[in-house]
Amino acid sequence: MPAGEVILDVRDLSVSLEGSAAGQRLLEGVSFKLEAGEILGIIGEAGAGKTVLARTLVNGLSEPLRVSGGQVVYRSRDLIALPRKELARIRGNEIGYIGANPTGSLDPTVSIGQQILEKLRAVQPDLSKAEARERVLEVLAAVRIPAPATRFHEYPFQFSGGMMQRVMIVDALVTNPTFLVADNITQSLDVTVAAQIIRLIRELRERFSTAIVFISSSLPMVCDIADEILVMQGGRIAEKATPEAITGRPKHAYTQSLLERLPRIWGPEIEAPRTTTASDLLRVVDVAKTYRVRRKGSFAAYNDVQAVRGVSLTVGEGENFGIVGESGCGKSTLTRLLAGLEAPDRGKIEFQGKDLGSLKGSALVEMRRSFQLLLQDPYGSLPARMAVGRIIAEPLLIHRTCPKKEIRERVLAAMAEVGLDPALENQLTVGLSAGQRQRVSIARALVLEPKLLILDETLSALDPVEQSKLLELFARLQRDHGFTYIFISHDMALVRKVCHRIAVMYLGRVVELAANQSLFENPGHPYSRALLSAVPTLDDHPFKTRDHLLEGEPPSPVDIPRGCTFRSRCPIAVEACGETDPETVPWSSDSMVACHLAGAAGLGGPGDPGVRHEGESHAQSA
Amino acid sequence: MSPIDRPTSDSAAVGALGRDASPTGRMLRLAWSRPSFKVGLIVFSTLLLAALVYPEISGIDPTKMNYRARLVPPIFLGDWTWAHPLGTDQLGRDVFVRCLVGLRYSVLIGLTTVLLMFVVGCGLGLVSGFKGGWIDTAIMRLTDAQLSIPMIILAISILGVSRPTVPAIILVLGLSGWPLYARVARSVTLAERGKEYIRGERVLGASDWRIMLLFVAPAVLPPIAFVAVLDVARMMIFESILGFLGLGVQPPTPTFGNIIADGRKYLINAWWIATMPGLFLLVTLTSLNLMGSAMESARNKVLKGGA
Amino acid sequence: MFILGFLCRRLFQGIVIIFLVTFLIFTLLRVVPGDPARLIVGGMAPDEVVAEKAKELGLHDPIPLQFVRYLGDLVQGDLGNSFIRPKSGASFGGSAYDDPTRGERAEVLGLIVDHLPLTLQLAALAILFSLLISLPLGIAGGLNPGRWQDRLAFFSGSIFVSVPNFWLGIVLSLLFSVKLGWLPSIGYKGFIYTVLPALVLAIEVAPFVIRTLTVSLAQVMQEEFIAIAPIRGLSRWRIVMAHALRNASVPVMNLFGIQLGTLLGGVLVVEYIFDYPGLGLLTINAVLQRDFPLIQGIAICISAIFVIINIIVDLAATAVDPRLEY
Repeated sequence: MPAGEVILDVRDLSVSLEGSAAGQRLLEGVSFKLEAGEILGIIGEAGAGKTVLARTLVNGLSEPLRVSGGQVVYRSRDLIALPRKELARIRGNEIGYIGANPTGSLDPTVSIGQQILEKLRAVQPDLSKAEARERVLEVLAAVRIPAPATRFHEYPFQFSGGMMQRVMIVDALVTNPTFLVADNITQSLDVTVAAQIIRLIRELRERFSTAIVFISSSLPMVCDIADEILVMQGGRIAEKATPEAITGRPKHAYTQSLLERLPRIWGPEIEAPRTTTASDLLRVVDVAKTYRVRRKGSFAAYNDVQAVRGVSLTVGEGENFGIVGESGCGKSTLTRLLAGLEAPDRGKIEFQGKDLGSLKGSALVEMRRSFQLLLQDPYGSLPARMAVGRIIAEPLLIHRTCPKKEIRERVLAAMAEVGLDPALENQLTVGLSAGQRQRVSIARALVLEPKLLILDETLSALDPVEQSKLLELFARLQRDHGFTYIFISHDMALVRKVCHRIAVMYLGRVVELAANQSLFENPGHPYSRALLSAVPTLDDHPFKTRDHLLEGEPPSPVDIPRGCTFRSRCPIAVEACGETDPETVPWSSDSMVACHLAGAAGLGGPGDPGVRHEGESHAQSA
Repeated sequence: MSPIDRPTSDSAAVGALGRDASPTGRMLRLAWSRPSFKVGLIVFSTLLLAALVYPEISGIDPTKMNYRARLVPPIFLGDWTWAHPLGTDQLGRDVFVRCLVGLRYSVLIGLTTVLLMFVVGCGLGLVSGFKGGWIDTAIMRLTDAQLSIPMIILAISILGVSRPTVPAIILVLGLSGWPLYARVARSVTLAERGKEYIRGERVLGASDWRIMLLFVAPAVLPPIAFVAVLDVARMMIFESILGFLGLGVQPPTPTFGNIIADGRKYLINAWWIATMPGLFLLVTLTSLNLMGSAMESARNKVLKGGA
Repeated sequence: MFILGFLCRRLFQGIVIIFLVTFLIFTLLRVVPGDPARLIVGGMAPDEVVAEKAKELGLHDPIPLQFVRYLGDLVQGDLGNSFIRPKSGASFGGSAYDDPTRGERAEVLGLIVDHLPLTLQLAALAILFSLLISLPLGIAGGLNPGRWQDRLAFFSGSIFVSVPNFWLGIVLSLLFSVKLGWLPSIGYKGFIYTVLPALVLAIEVAPFVIRTLTVSLAQVMQEEFIAIAPIRGLSRWRIVMAHALRNASVPVMNLFGIQLGTLLGGVLVVEYIFDYPGLGLLTINAVLQRDFPLIQGIAICISAIFVIINIIVDLAATAVDPRLEY
C-alpha cells in the first residue's frame, strides 16, 4: 500500500436522531480524509459527537440514530450504502474497531482466544483452523500479553481492564486491517495502564502499518499520538491541524478554550500550594486492613485480601492532604478507615489526640461529627425522595444536637454558605446539576460543624468549570472555618493544584509521602516517577514515559510477593529488594520514600544530577 | 444525548430531568398506560364486585339444593333465561353463584397468603441483606433448603392428615412461598445498601435501624409488592388445586376446586358443571396476570432507569 | 479439581437437606392426630391387637428414638413397609384383621421404584413439549422487543399461567378422549397414555420458560458485546445462535431448578386426574389413605431427586458460563 493513498474519504457526513427528538443532528457536515498509515486524532468534549462519528465510520449506528446525509468512502466504496453482504466482507476484516469498554466487548461465557478465532475465521473463511490459531497467538504475543498460550483459554472476566483492552486490540488487528477506529480506548483505564496502551498502539502502528482514527477526550494524549487532529464541537469539525499547530497556534476559539482549560502541572509559573500548619489533627499509625474472601469453587478456603498494609501518616490542622494511587492501591479502603466506616485490623487512628479505636458509644458518635466524608457520585450520594432541606437537616436529626426550632435556621444558613438558592429548600434533588448536588452534600456536612472533610473523588465527576468553582468554595470554607481536607483522587492535576502534601499509594502501602513541590519536581520512588510520567499533559514533562513507564500490572493483593512489593515492576530493582519490604526513609527535606535504593548512589537523591539532567535535556530539546 | 455517546454524568443528568420523585408513582403510571393493565383491572374488579354483591342481592343460596332444577344447562345452551346463567349442578345448585362464592374464598386465601409471604419473606430478606454476617448465612441457607424441599408434598401431607381450615391453608401455602420473597428482598437490599447515599448516611452517623427503616425499606419494598399481584393469582390456583384434591376448604362451602371435582363425575352428561367454573377461574386469573405482568414490566423499566 | 470440590460441597448440602426433610415430615406425621397401628390392622380389630401392633412397630417409644431408628434403617436403604398396601397386587383394605396376607406389606422402596419410571417418562415428555411451545415464542419475543412477537409471547404466557392444570386436564380429556376419541386419557396401557398428561404439564411449565427466555434474551441483546459483534465481523445468525442464546440460556436453566416444585405439583395433580400410575398418584393416594411410611419415603426420595437435579442444573450452568464457578 503506497503511503499517501487516501483510504477513507468522509464526505459531508450527517447523523440525526429519529423519533421523539426527530431532526436533532448529532453530526453535521463532517468531511475528512485518512491516508494509509496515518494516525488521525479526534478530540472534543462529551457530547461533541465523537463516538457517533466512530460508529458511523464502521456503519455501526443503531436505532434511533441514522445517517441523514453524506458518504463514508472506503477505497471507492461507500460503506453506508453498501449491501449487507459486501459490508460483511470488509467490516471486521479490513476495518477494525476498538471501543471504550473493553470488559463488555466480548461474550463473557466464551474464552477470548476462541472468540478472536471465531471472528478471524468469520471474516477470513479460507484460513485453516490451525493457521488462524497460530495467527491469534502471534498477535497475542505482539501486544505483550504474558503467557499467551495459557491466556488464550481464559475468559474475559479473568482479565484486568488494561489486559482486556490489549485483547480487543488483538481482536481488531488479527486480520491485519487497513484502518482501525479506536474510540476512547483509554477512557476506563488507570493512567499508567492507559499510557502503556498508547505506547503499544504506537508500536503496533509501525508493525502493522495500519491507519488509525484515534478518538479521545484528552487533548494531550491525542497530541502525543496523532499526525493530524480534528477538533470537534457540537457535531461539527471546528478545526483540523497538526498537533504542533493545535497547541502552538490554535485558530478556532473552541480549541483555544480547550487549551486554556487544560490543567497545568509543570512549568516555571506553577507554584505549589504551601501552608504552615500549627498542630496535628489526624494521626494514622501503622493501620492495616485485610478482608477475608471465600475462595470460590473451594470447600472452605479463604483468600486474604490485604487491602491496606501498614499506613502511617499525619495530617496537620488546616492542611490539604492528598492521597493518590491507581485502582486496587487501597485508597478506598483507607478512606473507609479514615471515615470511621470500618475499623482497622491493627494500628490506630487518632483524631485530635484521641484514639478512635478506644472510643465507644456516644463519644464515638460525637467524634464522628468532626470528620465528614464527601462522596464521589453526585447523583447516587443523595437520597432521591427527600427534599433538599430535609437532606441537609438529616445529620441534625440523627445526632439531635440542635433544638427542633433551630434546625431550619441552621439548614438555611448552611445553604447560603455553600451558595444554594434558599428556594430549593423544599425541592427534590431531581432537577439539580452535579455541582448543585455536591453543594447539597457539602451543606449537609457543614451543619455538623466538622473539622476534617474527606473528599473521596468528590470532584472527579464534575466538569472543569464546576470543579474550579467548588475548589473556590472549599478554599473559602477553609479560610472561614479552618477546615482540613483530605483529597482522595486519581487526578494528579487536581492534587498538584490544591494539595500541600501528598501520599502515593501502591498495593496497600504509602510508597512516598512528600510535599507537593518535592513530589512533582523530585519524586523519590520509581512508582511515583512512573505515575507522573503517565500523566497526560502538554506541559514540559520532566518524566518521559520512555524512561519511566512500567510494564505489567500490580500483583494481586491476595498474593503479595515477598520483599518490596514494587519489585516485580521496578526498573531499578536489585537483589536486596527481594528480601525485605523497605522501611520508609527520608528522601529530601520534606519527603519520605519506602525504597531500599533511596539515597543509594547513582539513583538520584535530592538534587542528584541524574534526575536533574533528564529534565534539563528535555527542556533543551523542546 | 445519543444512546451510544453517553458519558455517565450527563446521561444521569438527562435521565434525572423530567423524572418525578416516587418510583412507585412512575411504575403505576407506566402500568396504567398499558391496555392489558386496564383490561385486567376492569375485568377483575367487575368479577370481584359481583362476587361480593350478587350472591347477596340475588338471594340465591349457593348450598341450597333444588331437585326440580337439576342439571340445567347454561344460558347459551338452554332457552336464554337468566335464572341460572351457568346452569345448575346435579343437586340443582346454581353454578354461577357457587363460582362467585368460590371466588370470595379464593381471593381471600390468595391475598392473605401473599400478604403473609410478603411480610415474612421481605422482613427476613431485608434483615438478611442489610445485616449480613451469620444472620444472612442462616436465613439464606434456610431458603436454600426450603427451595429444594418438595414443599408440595409437605403441604398436602399436613392438610391431608389434619382438618383443612382456611387459616391452615393460608399457613401452609404461605410457608412454602416465603423463600422467594426473602431472596428477592435480600438481593435488592444488597444493591441498595451498596449505594452511595447509604454510605453517606453512615458517615453522618445514622444507626443501622434508621437506615434500614427510613431509607432501604421504602426503596426496596414497593417494587417487590408491585409484583405480588402475580403471586395472588398463583396462590389462587394452588387453593383451587387443594380444593380439587379434597384438601381445601371443605364442602358444603363451594370453592372452585371442589365444584370442579364434583362436576367431574357428571362430565359426560353435564359437562358445564366442571368446565364453566374452570373457565370462570381462568378469566379471573388471566385478568390478574395481565395486570401483574404489566406491572412487572413497568417496574423493570423504571428500575432500569428508563421511561 | 473444581468439579470435585463442588460436588463434595453440594452433596454434603444435599444430605443435610434430605435429613431436614426426613426430620420435618417424620415429626409432622407423628404429631398429627390418628393412630397408625389402628390404620394398619383395620377399624374392626380389637384394641389388644392394635396395642400389640403398636408395640411391634415401636409406636409407643419416644419420637426421637423412633426417628433414630428410622434413620438407622434409612442409611441401610430400608424405607420401611407401607401401612396399607399389600405386597402383591394393588388392592387393599377389604380383608379382615386376622387375614394372614395383611402382614405381608409392600416395601416402600419397592413401590417407589415401581412407580418412578412412569413419572420420569411423563416429566421428560412434558419438558420436551414445553420446549417445543416456549422456545419459538420466547426467542421470537426476545429478539423483537416491543413488536408483535413480544406481545404474542406476553399474552400466551399470561393465559397459560392462568390455566388451572386440573381443569385443563378435564377439558382436554373431555375433548380428545370423550368427544374426539383421538387420545386415551385414563390409566396407562402404553406410551400413548403419556401424551395427554404431558401436554397438560407442558402448558403449566411453558409460561415460565417463555417469560424468562424473552426477558433474558432481550436483555442479552442489549449487551455491548452483542452490539459490537457485527462491527467485529460476525454474522447475525452466529451472534444470535452462538452468543445471545448461549448467554440467555443460563437464567432458563436456573429457572428449571427453581420451578422443580411447580413441576412436581403439576405431576401430582395431572397423574391424579388421568389416573396415571406414577409417583404422583402414589403420593396422593398415600396422603388420602394416611399411609405414613409411604409419604415419608416418597418425600425423602423426591428431595433426593431435587438435590441431584439442582446439582446437574448448576453444573450445566457453570459449563455454559464459567463466571459462576468463581
